[in-house]
Amino acid sequence: MRGDLVVMAVALLVWGLLFWYLVRLERRVADLEKR
Amino acid sequence: MIARGLLLLWIAGWIVAAFLWAPLVPVLGETTRVLYFHIPAAWVTVLALGWSMVHSLLYLKRRNLEHDHQAAAAAEIGLLFCVVATVSGALWAKAMWGAYWNWDPRETSIFFLLLIYAAYLALRSAIDQPERRARLAAVYSGIAFVSVPFLIFVVPRIYFSLHPDPLINPRGKVDMDPRIRVVFFALLVGFTMLFFWVQSLRVRVARVEHRRQGSVA
Repeated sequence: MRGDLVVMAVALLVWGLLFWYLVRLERRVADLEKR
Repeated sequence: MIARGLLLLWIAGWIVAAFLWAPLVPVLGETTRVLYFHIPAAWVTVLALGWSMVHSLLYLKRRNLEHDHQAAAAAEIGLLFCVVATVSGALWAKAMWGAYWNWDPRETSIFFLLLIYAAYLALRSAIDQPERRARLAAVYSGIAFVSVPFLIFVVPRIYFSLHPDPLINPRGKVDMDPRIRVVFFALLVGFTMLFFWVQSLRVRVARVEHRRQGSVA
């Protein structure tokens, strides 16, 4: 397997996880703002 | 939510382009890809610390805690991106120069920048009273930002540095392959959008914390 493709997959995974975390955080903050 | 989805696709798409479409710089080889993350992270550091300084000065003028929330959030995010720029730079240094850390002028400068803004956060955490904390932190931030252009732009140009030439060369042109330039500026825009999103989230958290502290007190 090409090393650069592995690095690309890792970069996409990290970005996806960060995005997912931020979306979840935004929902949580919206809940706290409503209280 | 549509804007968030577009940002997800924008950054993911340009990451793919960085690996599959943009060519490699002959001297840099596979490490060319670090450029797409290292420089945008350094750019966001300067942007965030500048944002923090502007809101610190606005706080001193208007005494509105909203500006303090903005300044503190931007300093935290700036420090975070500064760590990303430092780590990615160290990885690049290992590949290009054979060692993670060489005390090169740029490395030394970014190290001092980390210390200066870590001290800013330490100062904030040491004071409980919100108005007093905001006032002292604003004064510190205003003075601290003076060091940013000096450490980032002046020091590395005064002393001999192993670091590659600045992005905009002495002739005032961006010296890059057209495809590298497209991917680079696209990711620069993506990182900037990411900064504003995280900044807005952090400020909203600070507002909630402040409201809760007010209701407890």
